[in-house]
Amino acid sequence: MKQDTAAKTMVIASTLFFGVALTMGLLTALKFIVPTVGEIEYLSLPRVRMLHTNINLFGWLLQANMGILFWILPRILHTRLFSEKLGVAMGVLYNLTVIGGLICIMLGKVKNVEYGEMPPPFDYLVAVCWVMFAINVFGTVAIRKVKYLYVTVWYTLGAVIWTTFVWITGNMFSQMPMVAGVNQANLIWFYVHNAVGLIFTPLGVAIAYYLIPKQLDTPIYSHKLSMIGFWVISFVYVWTGAHHMIHGPVSHWLQTVAIIFSFSLIIPVMAVITNFFGTFATAPRVTRMQGPIPKLLMMGTVYYIFTCLQGPFQAIRSVNEITSKTDWVVGHAHMALFGAFSYYAMAGIYYVAPKLSGRKLYSEKLGDLQFWIMTLASIPFFAVLWISGVIQGFAWLNPENTFVETLAALKHAHIMRFVTGGGIFAAYFLFLYNVLQTFFGKYGDEAVAETEPVAELGS
Amino acid sequence: MKFDVERSLILTAIGAFLFFAVGAVLTTVVPPMVDKTMWASEYPVHEYTEQELRGIEVYKSQGCVYCHTQQVRKLASDQRRYGWRLVEAPASESWEYVNDRVNFLGTKRTGPDLARVGGKYSSEWHWAHFKDPRNMGEKFPDRKGIYEKASLMPSFAYLSDEEIKDLTAYIQTLGRNINWRKDENGNPLNDYEE
Repeated sequence: MKQDTAAKTMVIASTLFFGVALTMGLLTALKFIVPTVGEIEYLSLPRVRMLHTNINLFGWLLQANMGILFWILPRILHTRLFSEKLGVAMGVLYNLTVIGGLICIMLGKVKNVEYGEMPPPFDYLVAVCWVMFAINVFGTVAIRKVKYLYVTVWYTLGAVIWTTFVWITGNMFSQMPMVAGVNQANLIWFYVHNAVGLIFTPLGVAIAYYLIPKQLDTPIYSHKLSMIGFWVISFVYVWTGAHHMIHGPVSHWLQTVAIIFSFSLIIPVMAVITNFFGTFATAPRVTRMQGPIPKLLMMGTVYYIFTCLQGPFQAIRSVNEITSKTDWVVGHAHMALFGAFSYYAMAGIYYVAPKLSGRKLYSEKLGDLQFWIMTLASIPFFAVLWISGVIQGFAWLNPENTFVETLAALKHAHIMRFVTGGGIFAAYFLFLYNVLQTFFGKYGDEAVAETEPVAELGS
Repeated sequence: MKFDVERSLILTAIGAFLFFAVGAVLTTVVPPMVDKTMWASEYPVHEYTEQELRGIEVYKSQGCVYCHTQQVRKLASDQRRYGWRLVEAPASESWEYVNDRVNFLGTKRTGPDLARVGGKYSSEWHWAHFKDPRNMGEKFPDRKGIYEKASLMPSFAYLSDEEIKDLTAYIQTLGRNINWRKDENGNPLNDYEE
């Protein structure tokens, strides 16, 4: 099979899924302003919200990350992908699984697991796909032609191992007959938090660790910081699930453990971020922000700092009293998954798409424009969610305010969210057009082929 | 002998797994062993009837949990807000949930918390509310003097009558494992409660 077919399949599919996910997001935002829009069972507010999160997480982000890593891993390990056929088979099965899961969600056949609503057999099929991905990752590392494993490989291996257990705990163990009540909630929040922390964080950081030095043509700033970042995150992240239940009906000590480790997360995150910024700082000033790729990487890193500083602080009991259960949390989640990791994934696709199609990116200018629209729309988008969250949190403190009054106070925030969300949605089409043109479009053949063949193919 | 972790697939993988496993075990397996209230109760806890279990399925499939939490937090503001007629709602305890095979603790309140909603409203009220939620409860004048509907809750008029009855039966059980729905003199807080 032709090399990189798996990467190509998954990158294109994920780009399309991204659009569907954003449509669902925009529809959710619209329903907050005009609740009568699309008032049928299959598109009711909670269903659309479930579709929005699931398409984003599995259709778009996870798939994009896997596709990009299918391209990066062979290059970094100076070998070929362990099995291209397995990769393609996995890509096809994965897409069918996600679509099947989404149809079930639309019909209301769901599990009570946030981010894991897909019912059996589809959640089990995702696990099968994940094992296929793991075989390819481990196989590619095993047949490598270099001695040392680069940071990107550590994070990928970590993600593969951790996610296996996180997925099984959240989707299978939590549904076992003897698991109920708060015990079940604890397992589910273990999954929900680590789905972001031990699936998307390591995969996103892995991609950034490859792209930033490669794109800027400079070595990574500090090897020691890379090691600190990786080993501390592998120890610290997993403890934090219970911070979703602060002040709630779970043991006080478990909450405290989660809070302490949420705070410890500042260590690995700062190590990673110092490393990224250090690398940016060593690159030549004139060229380091040329084109959409370094811009997306830079802005993704900025969002990563903010989201990872917000996390520890909103886990403090007194802050949590105000922010928890409000729109604030929605803003926080968006900045992690959209701001940081979707930006990395888009940078990855802009980087990989030209290599996969063997010519230059269709238009760097269009990419820049997309970056600026998306960024200028997303900053107020996040901000308005935090502001409305804080308003809501403080309004709830006063028992004189009825609940509906506290909701009515957010009307302007909801309108603002829809408008800025619309900006992000519009910018997506520039991204889509650019990527599709790069793959399939007809434009000047004077564009130089810059495909990067893998070493010793077929050996 | 020097361990060069970065040269070895096996060492990196095992290291990453072990570091992760410490926290994973201590936060998932150990808590229920230490804290028995996560799965057992020394007080009587309501056993759901067939109808209420069907109601739970409706609650799950309609995704109510995405706007309504089911936990009164140990905060004065929560207990006051989700109380009734100046009686504060007791904070939710972990043993109250032991019979919830499907938990709905939730993370986001676009609507009010439902942990103690059982018995607050009559089943007729719930019926009308599911059919047309935005036409119930409070309305506020806006700047132009027109009344507007502030609630965002989607209408569940598409549910069958049976489904609404099941769902209501389930909702009426919520938060009643602690007997708090009486005033100082021991009278029920609502006329329609015996």
